[in-house]
Amino acid sequence: MWKRTPLALLNLIHDRRKFLTSVGGVAFAVLLMFLFSGFKNALYDSQLQLLERLNGEIIMINRLKTNMFVPRAFARRRLYQVRSFEGVEAAYPLYINDANWRNPETQQTRPVRVLAFNLADPILRIPEVSHYLADLQLPETALIDTNSRPEVGPTIAGIESELSERRLKIIGTFTMGTDFASGNGNLIMSDQNFLRYFADRGPEEDPRSFATADLGLIQVTPGFPVDRLVETLQAALPNDVLVLPRDGPEGFVIRERRYWEENTNIGFVFTLLTSMSFFVGIILVYQILYTDVADHWAEYATLKAMGYSNLFLLGVVLQEALILSILGFIPGFAVGGLLYTVTGNVTGLLFQMTWGRILNLLGLTFVMCLVSGAIAVRKVQATDPAEVFGG
Amino acid sequence: MENNVGMITPSGGATTLAPAQDQSLQPPNPDLAVQIQHLDYFFGSGDLRKQALFDINLALPRGQIVIMTGPSGSGKTTLVSLIGALRTVRQGSLRVLGQELVGLGERDLVTVRRNIGFIFQGHNLFESLTARQNVEMSVELTGQFNTKRAQAEAMLGKLGLADRVGYKPNALSGGQKQRVAIARALVNHPQLVLADEPTAALDKQSGRDVVTLLQTLAREEGCTVLMVTHDNRILDVADRIINLVDGRLASDTSPDGYLQANAAVTC
Repeated sequence: MWKRTPLALLNLIHDRRKFLTSVGGVAFAVLLMFLFSGFKNALYDSQLQLLERLNGEIIMINRLKTNMFVPRAFARRRLYQVRSFEGVEAAYPLYINDANWRNPETQQTRPVRVLAFNLADPILRIPEVSHYLADLQLPETALIDTNSRPEVGPTIAGIESELSERRLKIIGTFTMGTDFASGNGNLIMSDQNFLRYFADRGPEEDPRSFATADLGLIQVTPGFPVDRLVETLQAALPNDVLVLPRDGPEGFVIRERRYWEENTNIGFVFTLLTSMSFFVGIILVYQILYTDVADHWAEYATLKAMGYSNLFLLGVVLQEALILSILGFIPGFAVGGLLYTVTGNVTGLLFQMTWGRILNLLGLTFVMCLVSGAIAVRKVQATDPAEVFGG
Repeated sequence: MENNVGMITPSGGATTLAPAQDQSLQPPNPDLAVQIQHLDYFFGSGDLRKQALFDINLALPRGQIVIMTGPSGSGKTTLVSLIGALRTVRQGSLRVLGQELVGLGERDLVTVRRNIGFIFQGHNLFESLTARQNVEMSVELTGQFNTKRAQAEAMLGKLGLADRVGYKPNALSGGQKQRVAIARALVNHPQLVLADEPTAALDKQSGRDVVTLLQTLAREEGCTVLMVTHDNRILDVADRIINLVDGRLASDTSPDGYLQANAAVTC
């Protein structure tokens, strides 16, 4: 095989300019696929940033809280009930509320999401939080998310501004990211401070208290089966709360992702755009291969006359397709990775380049080129060697 | 409707026209490179069906250099492409190098072609390949990958291109390109070479050189050459000249006889 003259490769690279244009075309199609599928994944992945940092194997929520956007709390005494069950190591409440944050530079107010909990409880798996536990006990202090949107203003320690028209001092930062439910950014504060801001916000807002919690985190005794505990808890507790494992196919995280998949057009729009890029790629590669065959039909026909079979010529065209797909994928992937970083910084969305996604798109690129190859091959097969005679 | 009384060809194919003709076939003769008997050929089908060749009978002994002439549209090219196993034949008998082509399928025809050297009007070389690689493409058909380089270079050397093996066609003159094409056709030592106007695109001197080289190598290898040409300047290389007119063999003579006959017509 390797001893054969590499006709496919040599034909492709013979005309350097045409070759670079071809590779550039394939790379562009690959880049578009990376970008559109990247947006789709980023929009979904971003919704799960908080959920994946919750430090508990089992999550308790109000049954009506179908997604993180719904501000439904449940009675905190359910968490005390849970503590009596075998296998429950601990159960903590997490309080969540939206509030207006005043950008200290522009003086404009923007809604942000406040996450609050008892500082003694290890609620979030965010390492930065533990450094500030002592300072967070002071009144009117909070941490700010460095991945907040630019509208929030500078996200550095030492900022002083207003939250719900009440003074707030930023004493530190953490890094998470925004999602649909988080408004423009995230703040973390103690549950005591939470009461200062949200216990009485005037007649138009519901007062918050420790009687209700937004998320309940249940830590399971190591070695105790999570699924069995979920079933036991759900059976024993009243129906106002829903008990879910955090991970797994029926878990809280997947449920949130599924909600956004099923209730928004994100999937449809970006899948459509990705498949359009795919078809543009097919047409592009087909043009390249077809031109090669059409330009060299006399040579290919001569090969047929000499005794090469259709199968051999098919192999040449498919090899060209494969070479194009690999050489086009590499720059497409490189530029795509660069754009992921840039777009992630601009939008605040979480762009993740995982191996699975890379291999998935590499596979799509192969299919793209092979389909075009298969269409272009018909031209080769139709080449009649008898026609070269008599020119 | 066609006459259904016609005889069945050896392949068991379609019935023939012209049932009145003597359709008896000679036995295969191993001394003949090409043995054609009662060959008819049609283009198209139905109402558009048009006969291109009429009852061709022709025998080319091994080692003979034959030139085929005739006006445009006389069927020369069709006949050559049939002998080259490039089209399926259905009627009559066509033996090439001992193999009956009538009734063969596409796959068998490809196998037959591997024993024939083709030289076309255009050189049809891949521009992306060097002269040597173009010739090697032909050697690779025989599976001799280890010696392909030596074989290709030896054949190019015989054609006076030893110092041009690494050049791509764009860097070669017209005559040189056609010589590379000849090297590609002859490198596997075919017993039959079919050439279609090999000098048409060349100037007088290069054309002459190319044909002389072809003649020398054919004598050396002992192969049969059938060349279609309009070029009167190269008729002298032939042992025999065949003239085809309107799909029928009009004359079959030695070069001298052909020239005299033609002189009589033109004078």
